[in-house]
Amino acid sequence: MKVDIKARLSFPGGTFPPESKELTRDSEIRVGPAVKEVAIMLSQHIGAACRPIVSEGNTVQAGQKVGDCDAFVSALVHSPITGKVKEISLRSHAVLGRSPAIVVEAYAHNPTRHPSFKLYDDFDESRYSSEQICEAVRQAGIVGMGGAGFPTRVKIEPNPEMPKKILIINGCECEPYITCDYRIMLEWTEQIMAGVKLAKKASGCSEVFIGIEDNKPEAIEVMDAAVRTYGDGEKIKVVPVRTKYPQGGERQLIKSILNKNVPTGGIPPMIGVLVLNVATVAAIAEAVVCNWPLTHRVVTVTGEAIANPGNYYVPIGTSVEDLIEFCGGVTQKSAKVIVGGPMMGVAIADLKTPITKTTGAITVLTKYQIGKTKFEKRQTPCIRCGRCLEVCPERLVPTKIAHAVKNNLLDVAENYYVSACTECGCCSYVCPANIELTGYIRTGKIFLARQKKMMPA
Amino acid sequence: MLRDIIVSCAPHIGKPVSTRRIMVDVIIALVPAVAAAGYYFRIRAPILICTCVISSVVTELLCNLIRRKPISLGDFSAVVTGIILALSLPPGLPVWAAIIGSCFAIAVGKMVFGGLGANIFNPAMVGRAFLTASFGVLMTTWMVPATIKGVKMSKIAPENVVDARTQATPLAWSKLAIKQKYGANRYSEENFVATVTGEVGGCLGETCVITLLIGGLYLLVRGTIDVHIPLAVLLSAFVFAGISYLINSYAYVQPFFHLTSGGLLLGAFFIATDPVTAPLTVRGKWIYGAGIGALTMLIRIFGEYPEGVMYAVLLMNAVTPLIDRFCKPVPAGGKPR
Repeated sequence: MKVDIKARLSFPGGTFPPESKELTRDSEIRVGPAVKEVAIMLSQHIGAACRPIVSEGNTVQAGQKVGDCDAFVSALVHSPITGKVKEISLRSHAVLGRSPAIVVEAYAHNPTRHPSFKLYDDFDESRYSSEQICEAVRQAGIVGMGGAGFPTRVKIEPNPEMPKKILIINGCECEPYITCDYRIMLEWTEQIMAGVKLAKKASGCSEVFIGIEDNKPEAIEVMDAAVRTYGDGEKIKVVPVRTKYPQGGERQLIKSILNKNVPTGGIPPMIGVLVLNVATVAAIAEAVVCNWPLTHRVVTVTGEAIANPGNYYVPIGTSVEDLIEFCGGVTQKSAKVIVGGPMMGVAIADLKTPITKTTGAITVLTKYQIGKTKFEKRQTPCIRCGRCLEVCPERLVPTKIAHAVKNNLLDVAENYYVSACTECGCCSYVCPANIELTGYIRTGKIFLARQKKMMPA
Repeated sequence: MLRDIIVSCAPHIGKPVSTRRIMVDVIIALVPAVAAAGYYFRIRAPILICTCVISSVVTELLCNLIRRKPISLGDFSAVVTGIILALSLPPGLPVWAAIIGSCFAIAVGKMVFGGLGANIFNPAMVGRAFLTASFGVLMTTWMVPATIKGVKMSKIAPENVVDARTQATPLAWSKLAIKQKYGANRYSEENFVATVTGEVGGCLGETCVITLLIGGLYLLVRGTIDVHIPLAVLLSAFVFAGISYLINSYAYVQPFFHLTSGGLLLGAFFIATDPVTAPLTVRGKWIYGAGIGALTMLIRIFGEYPEGVMYAVLLMNAVTPLIDRFCKPVPAGGKPR
């Protein structure tokens, strides 16, 4: 019995940017460059940064822990290659700015790692206890690989105050251009299934839903077949959802699948739900079954200007420059290099920015894709058309918030729930006046948080 | 080729929609109405429309220069204001009055508030209200459409009734019927078709229903306007007209007649839908539209004026900030605790 692909489950608001996934959706995952140097950032996650436990001149092995942290909300970092620590210096991070990183210079005979997970017939997740799984996840330094970077061990560990009953696996990949999760679902299906069962065991959830957008029918079929083969009668179900941006946001995915809203300012465990990205789940399997830490990830290198776009399995810490060069460089004059996708990604200036655990894609856009209006920043005053309200998935009033922040009226911004914004970018995408709504709102959130910290009410 | 990359904030792509494109869509949607105006009122249509557009654009240019702000003519909003103002003027209005009206509409209706997006009241309606208050006789002197044979196009005052066709406007007759308490049913039967095709007296652009509907449909299909405001205006007007008709069908014309006469359709599709002066939320738009429909019918039935759209729009414009306040949406996750 085939799963019904044409899904109608969805959430209010949202918009439909052009998918542009045909550039890389049929590219099999290929091994990335044999790097000479990686820069492992000490903070690739939400929470306290790691401190380095190696120093200049030390030899490190592939998979060796190089950064440790004692705080609860944190994640360890490991070296993906065998080599010598060249230095501990600053590298550019898309969000944090210049941050410390451990730079490792590869030894000459450094074998390139290939994805190599193998699910043996005797795999049985009941062999592992919840504590063992959580500890393995912690030792592997796994963080949310969908982009948020929240330490996964903290996320899946059972919490008696907020019990998690439903596990949702996020295979939506709603951003245009990005196809890494799609390829992982097609090619690493067994690994994902193992990870799903381990995550389910560790968190204590009783039901699993795997949400996939309906523009990926092959992935839906493959995952559905895998669930039937490996599901063992456990409550695991593939749920196709309507393709709309930002379906992959966890709050929107929960609304679509369960028709429940996560409270404003709250997290999904408050309503008993846990959401994990497919890549994270695959990493959990590798950590528990193969005892290998998070050292590599699949990155989609894409954009009409890239010579050989595709999905590449790269060591974490590879610089964007090396990766683009490996893909043949660019063939046209490019306007932006974006870490992530075109809706929520961060445009970078420093091409030596290293790939982190949360980097899903490198998108290179030309002026033509950005559009003349956005490129030249032609703005008119807000005409109060209301399009931003129609598309906001969180049901906010973006124009009011943005203009309050612009005029430094943070109390008005708070009155319109600025902190509830998930920065998806739908409002700026549809604005006819070309106002940078998302930018203003993001600034408002930061200023408001800073203000609250300085003056606790 | 990666040397001149730029950095700006997400999102890095945008829908191909702009303020100017919205205004151009409105201008395109008004072309049928402009054509109908030319057909029925001959040379008066291009004279008035060109006058209003040129005066609006020049006024906005002067205001930008005086305020030392960047020239804002590129968004075409002055052109749209000019055309809508012209279409809502009586065809016989002298050119000098049209110039004064346009200048007032742009300068006081929009620029004084801070330019596009900052005005509270619909600029075209502000201009028309100023003209009605200042030159009342000129604004209520109508012309017979040029297509009516045997009667030369001339100015006729409401009192000098010859026959139904040479009557001032359908609404003036309707007002007479209300006062006399008879004649409404006969009049609306005989002249309903004429109000639809536009062969009646009235303002330049409001007479031909078909062209206005075509324009409104174009805007709806293109996504330039939402269906909420026009539907709310027309439904609300229909309901109140229907109630009055049911009470006394001799004194009050039937509700469809009200929909097709006067500036109700022009108002519903082109004036009330002005985004700057309308509420932001869908719920707010319904309240706003319903209010305009209700106020229009209130003025048409109980007021001294035969036509009420202009004042209804201006009154609801004043209430829009309050509507926005009360229709503030609750975020998806509920109010923060």
